Amino acid sequence: MVDIEKEIRDFIVDNFLFGNREKLPDDDDSFLQKGFIDSTGILEVVNFIEEKYGIRVEDDELLPENLDSVRCLTNFIVRKRGVRV
Amino acid sequence: MLVADFLYNSAASYPEKEFLVWRGQRFTYGFMMQKVDALAAGLVVEGLAAGDRVGLCMGNSPEYVLAYFAALNAGAVVVPVSDQTNSRGIANILNDCQASLLFIDHTVLSSILEVVSEIPSLRRVIVVRKGSSTEKEAEEWIGRFPVEHPGFLDLGQVLKESKGKAVPHSTHEQDLAMILYTSGTTGSPKGVMLTNRNLVVNAESIVQSLRLTSNERTMVVLPFYYSYGNSLLTTHAKVGGCLLIERNFVYPNLVLEGMVREDATGFAGVPSTFAILLNRSDIRKYAFPKLRCVTQAGGAMSPKHAQELAQILPRADIFIMYGQTEASPRLTCLDSPDLLRKPGSIGRSIPGVRITVRGEDGTPCATKEVGEIVAEGDNIMKGYWGDPEETARVLRDDGLHTGDMAWMDEAGYLYIVGRKSQMIKSGGHRISPKEIEETILEIPEVHEVAVVGVEDEILGESITAFVVPKGPCVIESQIVQKHCMERLSIYQVPRKVIFLDELPKTATGKVKKHELL
Repeated sequence: MVDIEKEIRDFIVDNFLFGNREKLPDDDDSFLQKGFIDSTGILEVVNFIEEKYGIRVEDDELLPENLDSVRCLTNFIVRKRGVRV
Repeated sequence: MLVADFLYNSAASYPEKEFLVWRGQRFTYGFMMQKVDALAAGLVVEGLAAGDRVGLCMGNSPEYVLAYFAALNAGAVVVPVSDQTNSRGIANILNDCQASLLFIDHTVLSSILEVVSEIPSLRRVIVVRKGSSTEKEAEEWIGRFPVEHPGFLDLGQVLKESKGKAVPHSTHEQDLAMILYTSGTTGSPKGVMLTNRNLVVNAESIVQSLRLTSNERTMVVLPFYYSYGNSLLTTHAKVGGCLLIERNFVYPNLVLEGMVREDATGFAGVPSTFAILLNRSDIRKYAFPKLRCVTQAGGAMSPKHAQELAQILPRADIFIMYGQTEASPRLTCLDSPDLLRKPGSIGRSIPGVRITVRGEDGTPCATKEVGEIVAEGDNIMKGYWGDPEETARVLRDDGLHTGDMAWMDEAGYLYIVGRKSQMIKSGGHRISPKEIEETILEIPEVHEVAVVGVEDEILGESITAFVVPKGPCVIESQIVQKHCMERLSIYQVPRKVIFLDELPKTATGKVKKHELL
């Protein structure tokens, strides 16, 4: 779980903050409210977690409770992997 | 008729009718009119005069609508600024138009604090918080904002302290109502000057084309600070319709749920909105029994998407519209019955607009011959603010030269084939490659750069920068992107940076951008 959190943070820093780690939000901060992810950015996040963790994000799972913070994403990935196993 | 009259007339006809729905709160025409009058009076007390420029740096909210109509009511000129603009961009726009007053969302307040001392014309900054326009929440906010900066006020406070109706200004149809900044071919954004007349006739024409009535309940995910979002605001205020306001389209399923919950009759998007709806949302699982009017602007709809959308929404009329900010903004409309009959078309001119397709020498093209779209009508802008040269380049004796290349069939339907300029269209944004190139060239290690739009399924085009470094030094793509992010809006940051040893060029040294695609 710690690894997943770190990997998500790294992805956010690399792809949305372009290496500026100082601007990294706290784990519970909403990506939406922080304003650095738009409607296409969220699809990049989805592509990343699908490829990285071998899970399929269904259209009805594209919701803030699953995707809108580092914590939400981590819990979602853990949950999905658990279901898959 | 003035833009502000749309709200006055609808408030007089439908005082109890919903105008705005926002996060479960409902705002009637009567309520909004009362608040608009109060705020306009407050603005006059703060020294706002007719013709003064008022910046609106806010996301979609009832407060945006309130500030918009209050500024117009006070005779001022509204200058919307994207809340995604960084401090340098905000300062450039406000300095260019010499704004004297600014409304700003508290969420982006830090952007203005960084640069406020560099904007000498700015006398007042009104900070807007969610709920500032409702009395209960305004009461809660008053006094919470520490007014440490001279000239900074809280919207709730301005409203509370305001008394009575606004002093009427003698604004005329030909007076400016808005300056909308848009990317220019020369690099820096240009201020498109739109008069009350421009906006009013275009709103009337759109209402007629889309057959809008006071029964409309339209979901708005497009920002009001863009010309498309602005036209949703003006047309619905004109007919007495209701706007279901969303701030963004990040979670499309939430927007769809909101449409079902609120019995939405309308939805408006750009090509990327519909690509996301069709490819990454649950749209097929919902029923929209009341949905009547779906509009797309910012590009033609691909035949594949048109067919899919028509199947999913069999009861809705789907309209494709074309225009540009300089036209207030609409020029053409493809009516629903023609969507599948004229695939890929952007339709015919709307009432009051005359379109011709012209060749390089200015003569009209033959049927199906490709040329530049030239438009005439009362909706065409007055010009670019403080830029007579650029104005003269596009506003000529035969009309507005749009820079869009197209052909027209024998029935007057237009088909766009490309653009004369190298502007990039990405996710509904019109983006100047030159502005991004100039920014990247500020990096000391960069020798040359060419920025192009690469075809993208969702965005239409995504930005790619081809960079030639100086000598053997190494730069990482992230350095280029970070540099851009700090200086440009987020949608202007290249998605991809590719390093080359040299750029392909013509014999005269001009970069052959088409070879980079």
